[in-house]
Amino acid sequence: MNSEILKQLDGYDNVINEREVLKRYGYDYRLDRGFVRKYLERLHPRYITTKIIDIIEETPSTKTLRLDSVEKYLPPFQAGQYISVNVDIDGIRTSRPYSISSSPDETAYYDITIRRVEGGFVSHYLLDSTKIGNTLQISSPAGNFIHNPIIHSNELVFIAGGSGITPFKSMIQHAVNTGISRDIWLIYGNKNSEELLFHDYFTIVAKKYPTIRYVQVLEEGGASYNGYITAKIIKEVVGDSSSKTFFVCGPQGLYKHILNELQTLQLKPRQIRMEMYGVPTDVFKQSGWPEDVTPDSKFKITIKNKKEFTVAAGEPLLNSMEKNGVIVPSLCRSGECSLCRVKLISGKVYQPEGVKLRQADRRFGYIHSCAAFPITDCEIML
Amino acid sequence: MKYDVIVIGAGNAGLTAAATLAKKGVKTLLIEKHNIPGGCATSFCRGRFEFEVSLHQLSGMGTPERPGPLRSILDSVGVLDTLEFVQMDKLYRVVVPGLIDITLPADKEGIVTALQAKFPEEKDAIKKFFDFVWQFFMEVIGAFYLNDPDINQKKYPLYYKYALKDTQSVLNEYFTNPMLKAVITPYWTYMGLPPSKLCFSDMAALLFSYAEFKPYHIKGGSQMLSNSLLEKFYSNGGEALFNTEVQKLLVKNNSVYGVKTSDGTEFQSKYVLSNASAISTFVDMLDDDKVSGQVIEPYKGSSIGTSFFTIYCGLDCEYDKVGINEETNFICNTANPEYDYELSKVVDTDQSSFIVTCYNVFDNAMVPEGTSQVVLVTMKYADAWLKVPPAQYYDEKCRCAEAMLNNAERVFPGLVSHIEEMEIATPITHMRYLNHPGGGAYGFDQYVKDSTLFISPKPPINGLYCAGSWYGSAGYQPTLTSGHSAAMAIVKDIRNK
Repeated sequence: MNSEILKQLDGYDNVINEREVLKRYGYDYRLDRGFVRKYLERLHPRYITTKIIDIIEETPSTKTLRLDSVEKYLPPFQAGQYISVNVDIDGIRTSRPYSISSSPDETAYYDITIRRVEGGFVSHYLLDSTKIGNTLQISSPAGNFIHNPIIHSNELVFIAGGSGITPFKSMIQHAVNTGISRDIWLIYGNKNSEELLFHDYFTIVAKKYPTIRYVQVLEEGGASYNGYITAKIIKEVVGDSSSKTFFVCGPQGLYKHILNELQTLQLKPRQIRMEMYGVPTDVFKQSGWPEDVTPDSKFKITIKNKKEFTVAAGEPLLNSMEKNGVIVPSLCRSGECSLCRVKLISGKVYQPEGVKLRQADRRFGYIHSCAAFPITDCEIML
Repeated sequence: MKYDVIVIGAGNAGLTAAATLAKKGVKTLLIEKHNIPGGCATSFCRGRFEFEVSLHQLSGMGTPERPGPLRSILDSVGVLDTLEFVQMDKLYRVVVPGLIDITLPADKEGIVTALQAKFPEEKDAIKKFFDFVWQFFMEVIGAFYLNDPDINQKKYPLYYKYALKDTQSVLNEYFTNPMLKAVITPYWTYMGLPPSKLCFSDMAALLFSYAEFKPYHIKGGSQMLSNSLLEKFYSNGGEALFNTEVQKLLVKNNSVYGVKTSDGTEFQSKYVLSNASAISTFVDMLDDDKVSGQVIEPYKGSSIGTSFFTIYCGLDCEYDKVGINEETNFICNTANPEYDYELSKVVDTDQSSFIVTCYNVFDNAMVPEGTSQVVLVTMKYADAWLKVPPAQYYDEKCRCAEAMLNNAERVFPGLVSHIEEMEIATPITHMRYLNHPGGGAYGFDQYVKDSTLFISPKPPINGLYCAGSWYGSAGYQPTLTSGHSAAMAIVKDIRNK
């Protein structure tokens, strides 16, 4: 606006006076240089450099790594959340998410409990090649597999398969340590008793607190329930389920099976919380996977303005990019958190069920590279 | 690498600026810290729901036959046809439980009739007030939108008298019932200052613009707008870097010549347009303390504006099952906006007034069939939240959400029992995702003394331009407009050289 007009507006002089005074007594924002970042470091640091302060052998295939921050500060987390561990293995930079298995009230460390994955990459490295005193770079805690007292019941059914027990260890330990009122039924499915994680801990707390029930279901037999976790077993263990909230965590195979079983209990969707757990390893067997794409199929991936490489079918795009030195941020590696989102300019990818794409992502060709399997040659933009 | 212009930040203003520049054939690089475009104009997924983050009611659109200023800008950038806009026929519903429940339609006559029915004792004043607001705004249009070359007091008497006045004193000239004043002005929360502090011009603009040009929803949410702008930018040859943070502005002899990103890469350009906050741009990105001091000087008296406490809810039922019938609902605890404003400075929400927005009243594609999404939001400054110890942060979030939901239950009984997915955002959340001091979603407090009338959005460094809520008005229409204006100023400067 023309300043001559401005000067004639009623009240102009008052505004100018106020501005003059504030010029003398106002705030010098230079004092806040760097404040936002420094503040956020306490709650949501971009990464944390940790040191392995202890390694606990849990079962023949599983160890717990106890991590403390090199800076001696770990941000708070909610029981059930995970961290992503960044590793550099033989020149390949990648990451893996692990639920924190310790309780949030044990503030001196984060525990992550790692089971050896057959044909795995990072689990072998973490189990075989790390020692007490080594440093590990991790993300700050993330994830939505948490109990929300406003909308979830205090009567909780925890259904775990194999290493999917880790978030429940945190939740149960948190309830025990802090005395919050929870009625818990833990149903733990595993191959055999040898592979049960935290078995002694759960046995002790279940004995001590009548509000915690601990039931094992073993594939190879030898427990009070054997085979797979079924609706029948759940019904027998928990009784009426109408007022309870179900939390489910375990390998991919467990979900389809459990969802079918839970369906017979006629639960509402709001009663079921599922933790994401990677992407299907047997992607060739998934519904919707194109028949003509076999494990021998090879595709050319072009990263716009950056790189070209060939990939074999059946590997998530994110993994292929990492193997070829193309690094994008990643966190959940299960198609949920959206950190690894890239734009698919041309070509086709297979996206398993449950990938959380937004309407705008679908329309404009954005994909989560951790949960996108190329099924043709593809051009990608970062 | 050399560019004509580098745009910092892909918020509303940065995206519009980038899209405008690319369309004009200017070689532009857009740099964004986050991995997606939009800033506030975005969405996120939880469970089977996708939540709109920030867009409530898009202003300034108008109809194709009678286009508003924003429609023209979106058209000139080339994204208008790529988006679907849904017109709302109501402004809002205001409820003060036990005291009043009134819904105002989105047209002047309808507003007057609805208010007169509830406040018959002030029937004439209501008519007079709205006539006055319209006359006032017609003067604004005549003088400024139509670029009258000879603006003077005789021609535009209302403008000269009321332009700098506060809203409350104008309301007091017309009305006595505080409840009536309160139900006319709940939009103050869209500006972040209560009627006693909010410039009357701003309130008049809100009422006039929403009633004349109608409030709109963007089908698919605000992320559709952000992505459309980015897509237009790309198709006109623009380049963008995501997950990349600008750390420093490169300045020599009071002229900007590029930026340095956090990985140490330098990008050179003749112009830099910043959509980052004024504090990031002028303080964090400028190394020279003296230069920094000079550039931030005009903002010394500005205070960091409000942020929000928001509860995003995915319901396992249709919205009408819990009594929601309108898209925008102001649920107030009292008829006293001044008191509500004071409450925005504390962490607690048990007495806070709040807005309940249900987007899928107008857009069923937002949610799976048989469900709905409802967002509750109240104004909260960050100061009190900044003092919450990190160890108590998650419990505080939950406590405050529960208190607000309990109040919502008074108007929408059964709401909580239908929530399937919930996410809570605090001022700290906004600070984290926007990188704004205080999580200031509206930039600085929107006092008239700090408006573009008194502070030029163009900082005194050659080649440096700024756009977005920190450098003028906040909200979708203003920020989209400011990005377009800043880009056009650069285009003009390039052509003049």
